[in-house]
Amino acid sequence: MNDSEKQPRIRWLAQLWADLKASTDPGVLAVARFLGLLYGPIDRKLPIDQAFRKMLRYRLPSYVSWRHAFGGITYLLFVVLVVTGVLLSFYYRPSPQEAYPSIQYIVSEVPLGWLVRDLHVWSANFIVIALLAHMARVFFAAAYKPPRESNWLVGILLLLVVLCFGGTGYLLPWDQWSYWTVTEVLDTISKAPLLGLFADVLRGDVIVSGATLGRFFALHVIVLPWAAFALLIFHFMLVRKHRIAPPPGARLAEDAGIPFFPNHLLRTFIVGVVVLAVTFSAAALFPRPVGDPADPFELPTEIVSSWVVVDVSLGLIRYLGVWGFSLFTLLGFTLILLPLVDRKPEQRLRRRPLAVAIGLLFFGGYLILWLVGHQVTSVQSGAELRSGEAAEQVVPQPAPGERASPQFSSDASAATREEEQN
Amino acid sequence: MTRSMVLLMVAVFLAPAGAELGAQPTPFADALAQQREILIDPEYSCVVCHTEKRRAFLLGTHSERGIRCHDCHGGDPTAFERGPAHSGADYIGTPDKFQTVELCASCHEDPDRMRQYGLHVGQLAEFRTSRHGHLLLEQGDTNAPTCSDCHNSHTILPPNDARSNVYPTNIVMTCARCHEDQALMSRYGLPTDQVREHRASAHGEALFERQNFAAPTCVDCHGSHAALPPQVMQIADVCGQCHVLVRRAFYEGPHGKTALAGTLLGCTSCHSNHGTERVRPEQIGATCTVCHDADSPQAMLGEEIEEGVTRAARELESARAAIDQLARAGHRTGDILFRHETAYTTYRQLAQVQHNLDLVLLEDLTRQVTSISTDIRAADEVAAEHRWEHKLILIPVWFLALSAIVLAWFKLNSLKKGAG
Repeated sequence: MNDSEKQPRIRWLAQLWADLKASTDPGVLAVARFLGLLYGPIDRKLPIDQAFRKMLRYRLPSYVSWRHAFGGITYLLFVVLVVTGVLLSFYYRPSPQEAYPSIQYIVSEVPLGWLVRDLHVWSANFIVIALLAHMARVFFAAAYKPPRESNWLVGILLLLVVLCFGGTGYLLPWDQWSYWTVTEVLDTISKAPLLGLFADVLRGDVIVSGATLGRFFALHVIVLPWAAFALLIFHFMLVRKHRIAPPPGARLAEDAGIPFFPNHLLRTFIVGVVVLAVTFSAAALFPRPVGDPADPFELPTEIVSSWVVVDVSLGLIRYLGVWGFSLFTLLGFTLILLPLVDRKPEQRLRRRPLAVAIGLLFFGGYLILWLVGHQVTSVQSGAELRSGEAAEQVVPQPAPGERASPQFSSDASAATREEEQN
Repeated sequence: MTRSMVLLMVAVFLAPAGAELGAQPTPFADALAQQREILIDPEYSCVVCHTEKRRAFLLGTHSERGIRCHDCHGGDPTAFERGPAHSGADYIGTPDKFQTVELCASCHEDPDRMRQYGLHVGQLAEFRTSRHGHLLLEQGDTNAPTCSDCHNSHTILPPNDARSNVYPTNIVMTCARCHEDQALMSRYGLPTDQVREHRASAHGEALFERQNFAAPTCVDCHGSHAALPPQVMQIADVCGQCHVLVRRAFYEGPHGKTALAGTLLGCTSCHSNHGTERVRPEQIGATCTVCHDADSPQAMLGEEIEEGVTRAARELESARAAIDQLARAGHRTGDILFRHETAYTTYRQLAQVQHNLDLVLLEDLTRQVTSISTDIRAADEVAAEHRWEHKLILIPVWFLALSAIVLAWFKLNSLKKGAG
């Protein structure tokens, strides 16, 4: 073997030795490097270590406090939803025949399936609360004003995505409660100005059916995750670009700030742990019950809601009707347009009476509607719940004081028997 | 493309249509042709004036069978003047009640004509045995109904047609037209509350509310053409047409023998007739004391049966509640529901005990129901225990969470102090 052949091999060995030595270097990414996750050439060619160190050296303004935690909580809950959602999708079957049995299987047969499902359900509730709290903080702190108006718009779009996530996910258990709630909400949307066509396309049939379930599932697990992912990245980039909005009177030039690591990360860690523990507790203590399987021909005796937004929707529909629903949606749209109108740098609440009034109306209204809507357990009659076309095709109108015709009831014999037993 | 080729293609396309034109007409096509003939036949004069009758007749089944106005009413349908049209030896115009019976019987008593439609003959013979037939044909009482009073005169429909007067859900009101008429019924000393009672009864509820066509209407107990109230000794047999096992149990027990002797009104003693009142489990003892003394051995036996049946009912109810809880918790309940069905079937057999008064059978059936119910409740208890164990996961979760929070808090404070 001549020298020219020996040379590359020695160089290769020398490099390997250098990589091995680097892997035991007590650097920021030592563990990843030791485990081989950052292999020598990758580590050498990409400045990951530098980027990581730069991130840790990042300093946040000193006015960043606990009240800024809601955005982080929302993101954490989003991650929980993604993880639990992926786990649920291993077992869930999106068809009218299999959806309900697959939920039963997840809850009663899959190890810790009950926990995964209830974490998903409760995270879906908490994320709405955290997101609205985050939004309210931004709104009342006037953080939506230039130059951050585009990020406000992205935030509103993220709210819309989260609402769509919940709305599409709500039907997936395919039980009586979810089926008839979605029927009622879609029916209301179809009556609302401009939104009607949107509801018909979503329903995909004259009644909520397998076509609707397929559409909702596709939106829930394919379309919306990509939309959320893109919007989140954009949202974070804009936060980094414009930094967190300062409160009135903040002296930015004199502010040395607080280090991201470890101070802010520790605070985030504490908040994250509390949020996770609370979500686990809610999941373990208050599991969502499983209703009867969805039956398009029989109304349930009661509606049990398991999502904040459903409570709000039922509150709007039952107490304010289609126009109340439409006007509240319109109020949400005015929030989107607000930064285009309200461009003065004024942050103090007393100098922004109109904006504060709109904000109070929206956030206060949301809170009141939630509380009111949570009390709704009654079911609208079958005729009211169906579009005209479907009513003509499927459901005969029972005479007042008479029961619905049992030929449309799947459990007429059971009802008979119960009465006979009595 | 040459002209001959175009002609050839046209011929090929038209060939199936030609074959269709040459095909034999179907029976349905016959009926349609017949209707069309009645509608537009310029030679048939009846329909020129009696348009309403024609319309009603076309809705009925007789128009499909080739029967025409003059077959029943006589006259000359080729004459277009009122006088000649309403003349002739066979002209009867509007038949009276007696003529109606004869007219209908002229076809419906002919086996050769009825065979093809699967209709039995003998309605007239049956009608003669009925109270209605007796009044009309023997006493000449024209208040009594004739064929067309129940079946309609022109729109005559088969009993399985939902528009028919004798369809199961319509027959009760057809009978009620006369039997709810107090003025009419008072002449015969008959009550008028039968329909109200039937509607409120188990049978009426099954028929009208649950559309269960197996539930009896007036004609199922009284007969249709041969309508008569059942005799005292026949009641158990009438009810026993449907309640077969109960009938057998009834004749096995002491009450059956009394009924056979003609001293007990059979089923109606406890259940009434048109009201068919249910004797609920908790009413069994009280029902016995209607005839027996409260401190008699028979009343004690009734109490014992009541206790057994109510216990079984409670067991079933608790099993049902357990199944509901399992379902709410997301458990698949197919197998358990099947077991509950088995228990329910056993429970239903207790109805026999109430009629044959067999305490050994009562004990056996009650034990079977209790056994299944206990199993179902045990399954629910196991599931409830698992659900409770789920909460234990919070111990490690909060232990880890609080530990992490405390450590992070200390670290954060030390950092603040260091910075200060």
